[in-house]
Amino acid sequence: MTMQEDHKDCFVLEGKMALPNQYFAGRLGSRFLIAIRDRKKIMGLKCNQCGKTFVPPREYCEKCWTKIADNWVELGTEGELVNFTVVRYGDRHLPKKPPYILGQIRLDGADTPLVHIVEGIDPREVESGIRVKAVFAAKTTNTIMDIDHFEPV
Amino acid sequence: MKKHAKNGNVAIIGIGQTSFSSHKEDQNQVEMVQEAVINALADAGLKIGDIDCIVHGNMELFEMQFAPDLWHSLGTGAYGKDEYRITTGGTTGATLVCAADNLVASGLYGTVLAIGMEKLQEGNTTGGITNMADPLWFRNLQTGALTGTTSDGACAMIFTSEEKVKQGTKNPPVWIRDHIQVHREETIPNLFGFNKPEMTHHCAARTLFARNGIQDPVAYFDVFEMYDPSAWWAVDWLREFFLLKGDEHLRMLEAGDFDLDGRIPINPSGGVIASNPIGATAMLRPAEAALQIRGDAGGHQIKKEVRHALASGFGGTFWTVLMILEKELNWQEVNHD
Amino acid sequence: MTEYFGTTVADIFATMPKRFKPEEAKEVDIAIGYEATGEGGGKWKATIKHGTLKVETVDGDLTGCKTTIHTDAETFVGVTLGKIGALDALSSQKLRVAGDPKFLMLLLPKIFTPYAAPEKKPVSVTARDIITTIAERFRPEKAEGVAMTIGYDLTGEGGGRWTIVIRDGKCAVRGGLADPLTVKMTMEAKTYAGMMLGTIEAVTAFTSGQVKIEGDMAAAGATAKFFRKYVVPGATEAEELISLRVTNAIEQRFATGPVMGHWFAGLREKKFLANRCPKCGRTQIPPREICAWCRVRVHEFVEVGPKGVVTHFDIVYFASPDPLTGAVRDTPYATAYVVFDGSTEREAVTMDLKKEDIPRLKEGARVRPVWAEVTTGSSRDLIGVALDEQEESL
Repeated sequence: MTMQEDHKDCFVLEGKMALPNQYFAGRLGSRFLIAIRDRKKIMGLKCNQCGKTFVPPREYCEKCWTKIADNWVELGTEGELVNFTVVRYGDRHLPKKPPYILGQIRLDGADTPLVHIVEGIDPREVESGIRVKAVFAAKTTNTIMDIDHFEPV
Repeated sequence: MKKHAKNGNVAIIGIGQTSFSSHKEDQNQVEMVQEAVINALADAGLKIGDIDCIVHGNMELFEMQFAPDLWHSLGTGAYGKDEYRITTGGTTGATLVCAADNLVASGLYGTVLAIGMEKLQEGNTTGGITNMADPLWFRNLQTGALTGTTSDGACAMIFTSEEKVKQGTKNPPVWIRDHIQVHREETIPNLFGFNKPEMTHHCAARTLFARNGIQDPVAYFDVFEMYDPSAWWAVDWLREFFLLKGDEHLRMLEAGDFDLDGRIPINPSGGVIASNPIGATAMLRPAEAALQIRGDAGGHQIKKEVRHALASGFGGTFWTVLMILEKELNWQEVNHD
Repeated sequence: MTEYFGTTVADIFATMPKRFKPEEAKEVDIAIGYEATGEGGGKWKATIKHGTLKVETVDGDLTGCKTTIHTDAETFVGVTLGKIGALDALSSQKLRVAGDPKFLMLLLPKIFTPYAAPEKKPVSVTARDIITTIAERFRPEKAEGVAMTIGYDLTGEGGGRWTIVIRDGKCAVRGGLADPLTVKMTMEAKTYAGMMLGTIEAVTAFTSGQVKIEGDMAAAGATAKFFRKYVVPGATEAEELISLRVTNAIEQRFATGPVMGHWFAGLREKKFLANRCPKCGRTQIPPREICAWCRVRVHEFVEVGPKGVVTHFDIVYFASPDPLTGAVRDTPYATAYVVFDGSTEREAVTMDLKKEDIPRLKEGARVRPVWAEVTTGSSRDLIGVALDEQEESL
């Protein structure tokens, strides 16, 4: 039997969900962020088993699951833009006004790319393979935005 | 009765837990998940490459981090593998076990790792719970306060097929004989009318015991790990789970039947009132029951031999999961069609 | 005594008289009992009367207290230090308040300054160790165009006299005090070390007179930003654990659909419109599209009530926070389970009960609806129920 639907009483209730929360970076994440904030250095973790160096930090090598939590290595603040996309839509949660370049930067000494914003080059002219360097933020916030952006060397 | 038979037998072969605490500032979510996974792999003597499929569970509204299964993949080891996600409130952990049981029993996967986690310190649990109530009807009326403790922690378990068990396991396998999930109509107040419907606990126990030919659950089981969010609920629910009448459960309590050296010890682990990392809580019940069967429960191992264990999960508006764990694979003949 | 977060429960009570603000407590007359369980716990009683405070330990029962706080020692310390949220502790019942928790939450911050953990144990690093690294920690980009000479006269153990010269984007440290100096700061060597290591707050040290400044005051205040923070050699960098606090807020819209919509339309007319299962005959409030017992569609609406009978009730004394505002709900409040006249007997509905009626609430009580002044067809039309005076008086 089908339902005899009468829509005259249907209405929409406006609602809102606002939940305060906090996120703990953990011991490794804190060291990584503090090194950027206080010393302008980008640190990675190296797996001696695989010879791979990871950034951002992780406790275990994602290839062989060896614990690498204590094996910090200092990476360069320069690297290669290995991939990118251009963000072309604006939204209030986005960190920059579009269009801007969101890149994957393989820092010197790292095997994994770090995702960050690339500025100082026209989005129409950017290409993979260019060298970029970190520009550290003047005002720090205990986030990855303590690197303000990367720009061509 | 409808036929309820498994396609294949499934065993728990690895159990890993983190510590449980009201605060874990030194560990992020991924690291906490990985700690449990690594402990479970070590317990099973396996490597992450031996796992065919991952089942992940928590209540994302409690930490307010969306799609946690995706960004926990470094910790779960799910990259490059099949993964499923379970979110069923308090029962999440128990539903994870049911899902893993079904995934292995179906023959789709040989070895499945299930991981339940919660880091309640990071979120706003009471706010999350209130936001689960029907916005049209209940949300303004109810302040869905969490009635239990809040903890941070994770639990991981590894499940495998009978065929793989025959190739050898590091620790004795614990068999999942059967499980049942019972949901209720989603309008709480009906429970408090003059004419009460059957409790989900009772419905689950009645159905599960009948289809497994268990006449006297108190005599049959050696231990019960029950999801008891608050001590005052636990007492009441024992009556339902053991299909007791009147105040029989109270008399049993007074006689010490539920003590650690009693007829049917309840929650040697300390239960949910001891720690409640919600996505892991209901998984800790079968995990702890399995450790009792293996004799590996350490300081809280009960004295008598544990051959048959019962474990339950509870969540939301009286969702119940109930499962039977066995030391030996010898019950098939008593299963009734 | 057992420490939690580096502090004991006894520390907190011992500092209470020092933190008491008598001028804020002139109108206050209250005795507060504290019971902290577990290791390092105990019982205390704080009597506050017209600007005076008496803190005592209690051996037996806590008597004569208007309000008592019960918690475990760890939670007590955690909440005091702000490591554990008071509302979280309340809502998880790790912290229980007998009496009015809202009143306490407002009163305590007013009459006490917050407890500060005692200074960390002195480290073996001396002022000399720190000041001699200052050139390495210089940040030329922060000191562009700056030219100054800063003199430090650090007294006591590990102290000495040094001059720091900043000029042309370069920094040098020399022994002894140069003349002239832009500014000269005199303090105990341990105060300097404490400020640099973060165990003594610089602002406090300056304002409390622990630091004597001669010369350009503004220059003294500006120096900190020219240098990176001193890090103890070999110390773990991440003693600081970073956490990010955010509030995720999402706008939502919920469609009532025709069945619930009809219920709300009924509220606008001050009518309760249940629907009745064609198979088992039960009435459903709120009305649903199907009967979940019989699994059949439900079409027929029936008006029930407006009066009903209380089958069961909860009186809530525990203050739970509103997830949207964090405000604490007024206690006590009662949730009554009401079967409206004409409903089938299984179908109780939760309703807020008028606060004044709580003392007279009992099972089987007759209730009437309390409507909003203006009903618009929403969940806010029905405020709750009240005891039905008319029937009570019969």
